[in-house]
Amino acid sequence: MNEPKANGPSADDDPTAGVVAPGDEAETPDELLALWEDEGPPPAGGISNLVACGVTCLFGIVGMILSWNLSLGTLTDPAPGFFPFVVALIATVLSAAQIVLGRRGGDGEKFISHSVTVVWGVLSLVIFVAVLPLVGFEIPSLLLSFVWMKLLGGESWRSAILYSVLTVVAFYLIFVVALRTQLPHLF
Amino acid sequence: MDQNMRRISKRLVGPLALGSAAAMVLSGCGGNVAAGGGGGEEDFPTKEVSITVGAAAGGSTDLIARALADGASSDLGQALPVINKPGANGTLAAKEVQSAKPDGYNLATLNASLITITPLAVGEDEAVSIDDFEVITGVSQDDYVMVANPDAGVKTVDDIKNSDEKLSFGTAGVGTGSQLAQSLLLAQIDTDFKEVPFDSGAPAVTAALGNQVNISTVQLGEAKPHIDAGKLVPIMVFSEERNKFLEDVPTATEEGYDIPVSQYRAVVAPKDTPDAVIERLDKSFKATFETDAYKEFNEKNLLTPTEVSGDEIATEWADLADRYKKLIDEYDIDLSD
Amino acid sequence: MDMFVPVLQGFGTVLEPGNLLYCFIGVLVGMLIGVLPGLGPAATMAILLPMTFGIEPVTAIIMLAGIFYGAQYGGTITSVLLRLPGEASAVVTVFDGFQMAKQGRAGAALGVAAIGSFIGGTASILGLTFLAPLIAGFALDFGPPEYAALALLGVTLVATISSGNKLKALIAASIGVFLAMVGRDVFTGTERFTFDNLSLSDGIDFVTVAMGLFGLGEILYNLEERHKAMAAPKKVKNVWPTRGDLKQSAPAIGRGSVLGFLLGILPGGGATISSLAAYGVEKKVAKDPSRFGKGAIEGVAGPESANNAAATSSFIPLLSLGIPANATMALMFGALLIQGITPGPLLVTEEPELFWGVVNSMYIGNILLLIMAIPLIGVFVKILSVRPAILAPITVLITLIGAYTIKNSVFDVGLVVLFGVIGYLMKKAGFEPGPLVLAFVLAELLESSVRRSLILFEGDLGGVFTRPITLTLLVVFLVVILLPIIRKVLGRSKTKSQEKELVS
Repeated sequence: MNEPKANGPSADDDPTAGVVAPGDEAETPDELLALWEDEGPPPAGGISNLVACGVTCLFGIVGMILSWNLSLGTLTDPAPGFFPFVVALIATVLSAAQIVLGRRGGDGEKFISHSVTVVWGVLSLVIFVAVLPLVGFEIPSLLLSFVWMKLLGGESWRSAILYSVLTVVAFYLIFVVALRTQLPHLF
Repeated sequence: MDQNMRRISKRLVGPLALGSAAAMVLSGCGGNVAAGGGGGEEDFPTKEVSITVGAAAGGSTDLIARALADGASSDLGQALPVINKPGANGTLAAKEVQSAKPDGYNLATLNASLITITPLAVGEDEAVSIDDFEVITGVSQDDYVMVANPDAGVKTVDDIKNSDEKLSFGTAGVGTGSQLAQSLLLAQIDTDFKEVPFDSGAPAVTAALGNQVNISTVQLGEAKPHIDAGKLVPIMVFSEERNKFLEDVPTATEEGYDIPVSQYRAVVAPKDTPDAVIERLDKSFKATFETDAYKEFNEKNLLTPTEVSGDEIATEWADLADRYKKLIDEYDIDLSD
Repeated sequence: MDMFVPVLQGFGTVLEPGNLLYCFIGVLVGMLIGVLPGLGPAATMAILLPMTFGIEPVTAIIMLAGIFYGAQYGGTITSVLLRLPGEASAVVTVFDGFQMAKQGRAGAALGVAAIGSFIGGTASILGLTFLAPLIAGFALDFGPPEYAALALLGVTLVATISSGNKLKALIAASIGVFLAMVGRDVFTGTERFTFDNLSLSDGIDFVTVAMGLFGLGEILYNLEERHKAMAAPKKVKNVWPTRGDLKQSAPAIGRGSVLGFLLGILPGGGATISSLAAYGVEKKVAKDPSRFGKGAIEGVAGPESANNAAATSSFIPLLSLGIPANATMALMFGALLIQGITPGPLLVTEEPELFWGVVNSMYIGNILLLIMAIPLIGVFVKILSVRPAILAPITVLITLIGAYTIKNSVFDVGLVVLFGVIGYLMKKAGFEPGPLVLAFVLAELLESSVRRSLILFEGDLGGVFTRPITLTLLVVFLVVILLPIIRKVLGRSKTKSQEKELVS
């Protein structure tokens, strides 16, 4: 089982160690945090703030409309729409405030070129959910696991196949054989 | 990374893999997605028969299904796994079994309230009809009892009627038998009241214990220990005949009120399940009813057996649905308020 | 002293080798299944319940107690290592626990959680042994108005848990409250925001929200980081907590135990609010509150002690009043019924042996948990040295399949994916999921309690003045809200006067 390294250098000498990044000598939690902050993507800008809070603002407005249709009642005799309306109103107002106050950005992170990986990851999850009831969990799990290990994670063919198979077998044993849950399964 | 890790995974995985191979051989590979035709009707059942329950694990509906499954599996020679599929008062589970393949391998336990009461509180579109099922057998009934906190100062219906105070009444929620029974009574005695719906029976009992609400109507099993301990006063039961676990408590009918509400339960299969299969299943459930273990289970959970035939259940429930509809029209009750 | 004869006899029964073995099996199985998200203590016990049918009542109960404690701790393991909280009361553990794991201190977090759980649990059992009859009534004094005030207090704590932009935390919290309103309205049966989907009519399940936003969101986020050599956790520094760690967390464990014990007695939301309150308290008393959310060990010790203490003290209403406080207790109730034991006010006097058997089995379950958890920490922590490329898909599958097992519903699996995407986007946009998830948990309690109170008061808000506990809680609520503002104002005037002094 001589596996090629996944990504970057690995620490072969220290058996208890995981993957250690070059120059990662940080000892205290504070140093580690500072190190991560340095290496993370740059903070998101004003446009991101506008879009994000625009979405929450819209969420609030739609929420208010839907709640209004449920009828509000009064403060002392609230109908089903009363509390959702109040909460949606709060969300809208706060979002509007944040659009103004946070217009320079500074929170969160910019999307980077590697963010595309996430799109592929999500796509694989959606496919998993769509076919789960039709063909059971084994084949989708195997494929999802393989795609994530090989294509998204850069594992070798050999370890991707091996670990995918082992994962699915283990899941079968736990959920179908041992716990007898009614998870859709083909075999 | 990591010889150590590899060693560990090898050590862990070795026996696991072996075990899996063995297990696959043993379990004979039975998937639950492919619609595999399992033999003819004569040798039914050739694989597991699942019982879907429209409630979470641990409630009385679930426990009854598990007790039945336990008994029937020895007669059928197959396991009967119980599947919990809570949602929308049990509508989700009922709809799923209703559209399952009618081969007898997908059963459900059904609460009468789903057929008879829920449609009165929610829209027609999610109503479930008993006509969409083959009823295998009736199981048991769970009676509703109205209990009061001793400090509330009411011991009988007349006390409620004559109370100067505006009393508060807890129910187990909208569209439950607890709500229907209580609403019908209050409409018939024509008194002023506050109705407080809770999420289920247990919090309604707790609230009555603390006199947070003066009175609650709940299933007998939920209130019995407190009645025995003198912490709650039973006012009346809503079954048509006296409940054998509460012999001294009058029924609503005896007191002159028309409120025939109990929680009945039955086992059902999808419509058009072959008669031979239904008969085979009925036989195994009837055999279960006769076992001491099951009888003891009923006693402990204060359930009254109503082990009548499927046809009887179907007509009875349809009658009840009509009767409730007429009653709430007559007294102009809106359950969703 | 007569009272204690059955107590001691109970210990004799519990300590028989056969019973100890069942307890051991219970803790082990509970821990292993508790690790699977979705299958919390309640589901674990439901699955294993049939195993207890054929055995002696006392033995069966001992095993159930083992499963109960094991499953509770199993949830902590996933919260710390994989950011997957299986239960509402484990959400706050995620904040600092997962950060500690990222810093290579997962062992310390798990160790302190185990020790805190043990102390919290044991303190609660002692309380249960000696105080149960006295304080049981406390639970009954809590009606809708009291719960409303308590939930209000809890919501203010939600704001304290965020470590970033406060305004964004509040936006997230208000969206969390809104999401909690999805489903059939308890009061009228009206469908709210379900878009005619029956799968939504019971509302969104907490586990799908928490696992999606925390667990799956984190995994998706890490996908884009994968290109860098420095991905997830670093080397595991020490497997066990150091003496310094223990010293630092000891007061937190003490405070958490007391809080958990008191709030756990309340059926309905007690355990969640207690862990949240413990976190809030730790952050308030800390010299440097900014450490929280970045791997402060007290942020694990306090809530973990509190939720275990609360889990144990929720047995008080069950055993002395016959009231199951939550789903897990309802299952315990069912299990006891099957064994022919009716929990309730008469249990102690009518069947002292069984009563004390139940109580004593908890001592044993707790001790066994500690004995087994500590050596196993080394094994669990090894999970983190698995390469992220391999660990990630396994975690994803655990999450998705776990979501299925909650209600046997594919719809819920889809929801987890949806919340995973939202969690990822929130992280990119600088929103924290914590406030959203906690607000979600508290919202239902808040809304329904307020509406029930209004029915009881017949719309007259002055009714709170007739309720001393509500009034007290509301005063505390006002203090919590106003104190920081007052302090700020005073601080400002102080610095101003100091400036004046300097000028003059």
